[in-house]
Amino acid sequence: MINQTGPQVNEFYKTLHAEGLLSDESFEKVSAEREQPFFHVHWELKTILYLGVLLLTGGLGLLIYENIDTIGHQFVLMLIAAICIGCFVYCFRIKLPFSTEKVKSPNTAFDYVLLLACTSFVIFIGYLQFEYRVFGLNYGLATLIPMLVLFFVAYWFDHLGILNMAIANLAIWMGVSVTPKQLLLNSDFDSETIIYTYLLLGVLLIAGAYATQHFRFKKHFKFSYQHYGVHVTFIALLAGYFHYYDFPLCAVWILVLFGFAFLIYKDAFKDKSFYFLLLVILYSYIAVSSLVVRALMRVLESGGISLLLMYFIGSGIGLIFLLIYLNKKLKTA
Amino acid sequence: MIAYNQTWLANLRLQEILKNDLSKGRISDAEFKAITGKYMVGFFTPGVFARIGLFIVTCIVVLFAGGLAALMASSSNVLVSPGFPVFLGLLSYAGLELMVNINKHYRSGVDDALLFTTGSLFLAGLFMLFSTYNNGSNYAALFGIAFILSAVFTLRFADMLTSAACCVSFFAFVYFTWTGFLSFGMATAPFAMMLVSAGVYWLVCADRNKYINYENCFIVGQIVCLVTLYLAGNYYIIQSLSDDLHGQTNTAIPFGAFFWAWTIGIPFVYVAFGIKKKDAILLRVGLLLIIAAALTFRNYYHILPLDITLTIVGAILLGVAYSMTRYLKTPKHGFTYAEPKEENMMDNLKVESLLVAESFSTPASAPTDSGSKFGGGDFGGGGSSDSF
Repeated sequence: MINQTGPQVNEFYKTLHAEGLLSDESFEKVSAEREQPFFHVHWELKTILYLGVLLLTGGLGLLIYENIDTIGHQFVLMLIAAICIGCFVYCFRIKLPFSTEKVKSPNTAFDYVLLLACTSFVIFIGYLQFEYRVFGLNYGLATLIPMLVLFFVAYWFDHLGILNMAIANLAIWMGVSVTPKQLLLNSDFDSETIIYTYLLLGVLLIAGAYATQHFRFKKHFKFSYQHYGVHVTFIALLAGYFHYYDFPLCAVWILVLFGFAFLIYKDAFKDKSFYFLLLVILYSYIAVSSLVVRALMRVLESGGISLLLMYFIGSGIGLIFLLIYLNKKLKTA
Repeated sequence: MIAYNQTWLANLRLQEILKNDLSKGRISDAEFKAITGKYMVGFFTPGVFARIGLFIVTCIVVLFAGGLAALMASSSNVLVSPGFPVFLGLLSYAGLELMVNINKHYRSGVDDALLFTTGSLFLAGLFMLFSTYNNGSNYAALFGIAFILSAVFTLRFADMLTSAACCVSFFAFVYFTWTGFLSFGMATAPFAMMLVSAGVYWLVCADRNKYINYENCFIVGQIVCLVTLYLAGNYYIIQSLSDDLHGQTNTAIPFGAFFWAWTIGIPFVYVAFGIKKKDAILLRVGLLLIIAAALTFRNYYHILPLDITLTIVGAILLGVAYSMTRYLKTPKHGFTYAEPKEENMMDNLKVESLLVAESFSTPASAPTDSGSKFGGGDFGGGGSSDSF
């Protein structure tokens, strides 16, 4: 938020020009830009579009839900299908040709029309299943189809939001949830199946991230895969460790965790991504700290508290230096 | 005054502008290097994620250091006195000055966290001293001192959070003084608050170029003033306060029509002025307050059921967006909806796509829940979670 049109800025450019640090050509360019600064309403427009789609789909869903007795299922289904097909037709007609690289969307509204199309499609499938049991008791199939469609749409139209929806659907298909809010709110890590499912999901996503980069196929999708993959895998590994806390098996979990941390650490350096570096550091810190707490609790049954506090102070300060060091290293790497 | 090296601050501002020029190809790489070499900045300012990480870690350190201090002091009864948090706050402040002056941290996460903990600890001490905890509360004094403290911190560190705290505590101070010491205070409080917030807004918007280091603080101040000005006349707020005063619900409010007009009208006035003056803050605050106005209205008058309202509002919003893109197909009157090319942290995080995943996919279609919802299109509040 810097005032880029103030009188000082113009003065500054003049000084630079006089000092010979700015060539005549560049000086002309920046001066021309100063004269006609545009007011960008891009974010306002995007927010309005986003809210519009959110409210419209929410409102329609609720409307149908409340009035299902009077309007009849066929009509509702047809309405949803009409919205869905209409939006998809529009998107197919104006989309730019497919490429394995990043494809720009043809206009601002495109992303949101596609979002509306996909949401209504998911509602449509859910509705079919709910009302007519099209897939019978085969719930796996009822979630598999939306997931496949979402993945296809995400790749075909190059839409990151849809990709995220698809990943969330993949998790639902596997019987778990993946978005951070859901992970924190209603996850129950006390059962082995859930932990193993999460672990599998995490590994799948990480593999997806790797494949995206390795085969140079939509490389900009890597972040989404890795974002969910890293969180899910770390949380599953930690949960596994605590689940088997009293068994010798917990050593395996913690070892795998450190191995995984090392892999992501290497990869973060390759990508120069401090975000993943930070995740590795924080999750590993939780793991190390739990080991230290465990050791201290066992050794000193009574006077452990102050030692524990000192450990956290000391390790925290150490972590500050580590982060500063890594920040420098990443910049020069 | 300001704790940071002012030349570096000035150079930093210039570098930001040049970075923008560089990314748009208006200046060459060599020129950029030469200029930044001459106008150098010696601060330690890491990237946004390093900043977040350092913030978290510093908070952990301060938290456990406080815990250790409390443990050592637990034998005496120092802990219950307001002096204890203030003492810890002073320690934290000493650390902050050290990091800023010796280690040249600037917006590094470490100084942010230390400033945050210092402020919170002082505030905790003040609350212990002046609130009911110590028999008899004196909010005017509490917010008065909080205002002075946060003003000092703002002057010294030009921090956005402290400037927000500064404005809020100033308005709270005015409110509690006005209602506490004047016999007609409660009845006139809305108008007093309107005048005061409008006055502060005018001050904040006056010639800022003299205080260029505090640009961000002024922006925060502007936002707080605008919101306060609106809330001072918001019907719901007035009604609640009036209920509090008379000890009954739904009391009649004098000038009710005026407050309704204020509640509904002011957001649109903001938006209109925002468009006219091309002021992004006025415009965005106005747009947000329209939502507040709508919610206030719905709280009293249920004209339409929720589902129909949502559908209509959603359709209207899409219509507005459509006509906006139509109208601005070619940029007009200095407005454009094209994406600004400046580097944006939001793009870096791909926030939007994460938001979509949060709000458009709840696992409601999972088999266990098939009796209640249709799945997919739930309109849960999309919000970023604390994990990134």
